[in-house]
Amino acid sequence: MKMTVLALLAAAEAIALRQAAEASPVQHVLVQMPLLVLAGVLISWDMRGRRRVWAVPLLLTALTAFLFWMLPRSVDWALTPAGETAKYLSLPLLLGVPLRLSWPWLAPVLRGFLKANVLSMLGVLGFLYTHAPLRICNSYLVSAQQDLGFAFLQLAVVLACIWAVPVLFGHPRWLPSGSAGCSKCGA
Amino acid sequence: MNTISENYVPGHAAAAPQAGAVKLTMVLSGAVFALMMVFGLLMRAAQGQWIDLDAALFYQLLTAHGAGMVGTAALSGAAIMWYFCGRHLVLSGGIFWAFLGLFLLGVVLILGAIFIGGYGGAWTFLFPLPALSGGAWEAGAAAAFMLGYTAIGVGFLLYYLELGRRIHARYGSLVRALGWNLILGREDNDPPPPAIVAAAAVTIFNSIGIILGAAVLVASLVHLLVPGFEVDALLAKNLIYFFGHVFINASIYMAVTAVYEILPEYTGKPWKSNRLFAIAWNAVLIFVMAVYWHHLLQDVVMPPWMLVVGQLVSYFSGIPLIAVTAFSTFLYVRGSRMTWDLASSLLVLSVAGWSVGSIPASIDGMISVNKVMHNTMWVPGHFHTYLLLGEVVMAFGFMAWLVRGKTISQMDGLDRAAFVTYLAGAAGFVTVFLFSGAASIPRRWAVHYEEWLAHDRIGTLFGGLVVLGTLVFVLRFAARLGRREG
Repeated sequence: MKMTVLALLAAAEAIALRQAAEASPVQHVLVQMPLLVLAGVLISWDMRGRRRVWAVPLLLTALTAFLFWMLPRSVDWALTPAGETAKYLSLPLLLGVPLRLSWPWLAPVLRGFLKANVLSMLGVLGFLYTHAPLRICNSYLVSAQQDLGFAFLQLAVVLACIWAVPVLFGHPRWLPSGSAGCSKCGA
Repeated sequence: MNTISENYVPGHAAAAPQAGAVKLTMVLSGAVFALMMVFGLLMRAAQGQWIDLDAALFYQLLTAHGAGMVGTAALSGAAIMWYFCGRHLVLSGGIFWAFLGLFLLGVVLILGAIFIGGYGGAWTFLFPLPALSGGAWEAGAAAAFMLGYTAIGVGFLLYYLELGRRIHARYGSLVRALGWNLILGREDNDPPPPAIVAAAAVTIFNSIGIILGAAVLVASLVHLLVPGFEVDALLAKNLIYFFGHVFINASIYMAVTAVYEILPEYTGKPWKSNRLFAIAWNAVLIFVMAVYWHHLLQDVVMPPWMLVVGQLVSYFSGIPLIAVTAFSTFLYVRGSRMTWDLASSLLVLSVAGWSVGSIPASIDGMISVNKVMHNTMWVPGHFHTYLLLGEVVMAFGFMAWLVRGKTISQMDGLDRAAFVTYLAGAAGFVTVFLFSGAASIPRRWAVHYEEWLAHDRIGTLFGGLVVLGTLVFVLRFAARLGRREG
């Protein structure tokens, strides 16, 4: 119940950021979209992932949705009525939920690989958005595009620290174990 | 002739984890080392005008030689470290096979890019050269080359993720595996052995290097396929040299685990981690990532403080190596009455070669020297010392040890001849490079002036000796692989 309320709060916050998302690509791509994904993760928090065999298809679904919304063209489209509806539905349901349901079943090396890949791709996006000689998203100014590029790089650094600290210094006792699956999900 | 010392820690020598996969990797490594050395020999002979080599082919060979040697040094180093970490950790064989498969896929792509696509932009794929071939190769060839690197990088990432998670599971954290309890004087009933300390350090810095390398590779690929997307050239150069410097250094730091684990069998004294050893490896972890700026000393647009740090860390980075590994090797060997067979001789030589190689490296790391020497043969002189007399010798020493059997005996005539031939050839070869650098002969030139030919020809002769010695080491290893232990 608590997670459902939190999911609804995340979704409501994302919808409330509608105008801010139009004004700034940083708020759109790095605040609103992650909030929608978070809503999907939270809504499925207590669901039981029934079978390991579903992990790979679910992961592929999540990755496909992720790849689609990584494209600058998709970010532009997300500001149109049809695109906005697709965004509000697909990010929680096709990215957040499948990611949550598949994650506990994934092998630790695969999880590490996905995290490393996220860092590399944030670096690539940072490269492209800060140095592209043209407007990648027609809805935003070049200066805003560059802000987004730097925000990608900052996010990469923050995520790298968050993921590296438990590996370097040991898993904090106050956090649930992150590597041995999830009892609630049955993994 | 004697058997393994009874003073040696039991249990260590008995373990032979995934020996089949490691032996196959070492056979492949040995074969590629030999082939790449032949490529190098052809280039030196062409520079000396003893053979006629088309300039385009010269740069293709240069690219294959650089990428092949760096890749194979890393492959052999990874196999060595995997083998010895397997004595202390339970490692997944599937990951090693995936690593090897991705590596071979990368090799196929790289060789195809070079010898079918004509790519000759050097192993450093420095932006924007891959996209500016002047008609020598198509964008597809450069893209295949970078996809090959990406496949190899993914393989290494899987390798380090497996290693890192097993170290984490065994020791609770990477900092404990790095020996922080030893450094801080805390009690530790299960201190990490030297191979684990090295593995933890390499896992950290090479994972960072690979992640950053992947970012610049993909950005360069996007630029190749959509030329409108520019990449900041200075940032790209920083990332490429961070990745490249860390990657090639990691190959030596992985291979040195052979010294830590094998030499105690000969000296009878186990090589244990202590406070100084842990401090040295933690320093290596920082220095190897901070020193890459010495590759950019000629980039005047770099912030000056970075170049100063590059010079200072170049000095400091030799200290942990020489103070700990080289000095410790000297102490372990001194008075141990060890038997000098091919494996022990090569391993001790490798530490000596590695240490000597740090001297020309530090000299070239000085800004005032680098201004004059950076684009001369001095630079290949320094890294060939590290590799020909360091990492490659560690790999050959490990290979000799793998097929040695349980008894240790003095070198026979063929082993001694091969060892002396290789040592004379490698020492002469790198010395000629350094002399050529001091004489301001430029590097990477396919065609040389008349005045430089004597250097090239002497270098070719020494290179021939290196190839001869290598062929004996590799063929001897392959021939003895199927033999029963005795």
